[in-house]
Amino acid sequence: MDKKWYWGIIFFTVAVNVIMLQLTTRAYLGREFEMVLPYSIVGVVMAGIAFFTFLQWKKVEYKEDEK
Amino acid sequence: MSECPKSRHANKSKNDMVNLVDNVEQKEDLKFNRRAFLKSAVGASMALGLSTVPFSVRAMMGLTDDEEDRVEIIDLDQLPVGESHKFYYPTEKDQALLVHTVDGDLVAYNSECTHLMCPVFYQKEENKLLCPCHKGSYDVNSGQPIAGPPQRELPLIEIEVVNGKVYAVGRQFRHG
Repeated sequence: MDKKWYWGIIFFTVAVNVIMLQLTTRAYLGREFEMVLPYSIVGVVMAGIAFFTFLQWKKVEYKEDEK
Repeated sequence: MSECPKSRHANKSKNDMVNLVDNVEQKEDLKFNRRAFLKSAVGASMALGLSTVPFSVRAMMGLTDDEEDRVEIIDLDQLPVGESHKFYYPTEKDQALLVHTVDGDLVAYNSECTHLMCPVFYQKEENKLLCPCHKGSYDVNSGQPIAGPPQRELPLIEIEVVNGKVYAVGRQFRHG
């Protein structure tokens, strides 16, 4: 996969997690407790995607230095 | 292009960023570059995502709370039209306001402003709830903010009138 895809995925997760944090705090303060967990799960999944994408990007990026 | 040492201390690394020996800001270039930027973005994404977890833990604890009770507030004949009465619901820490509006309706809200928790007051002349701290105001009929910094509505207290007595029976945080 092209390195630009890794960048795109990581910045997509940043954007989604900004929105998830906003929705989570809004639901929590509004006592809509049943909505907090789904938002939180999306946030954690996106954090995981960001991390594993980073690991893949790192593998590709630093392989070029070794050539 | 053939490589040649640029000075006595020339680094023989294959990394272009390290070989920028003529760059006076070499340290900054090594520290703040494309790779470091992406690493920061990953860190930010993970921090944002994981910071939602404490909210869900607290929310799951909150789901088990069954806080609302039926509480007597006041005799209706002691609250004439256009007046308000302060009470506490559902706990002694939650200040609330029962309003007999100029239209003759009975409404009750927790009276801590949703901006910075100052107590709101009923303004009979303008038929609205006013927070004097930052001039935030709420529609007395819906509890929704109509002016000033507040963004969220006041928690609505559900009331019942039985045998001339007003009771608080529940609370809604998102309404209208």
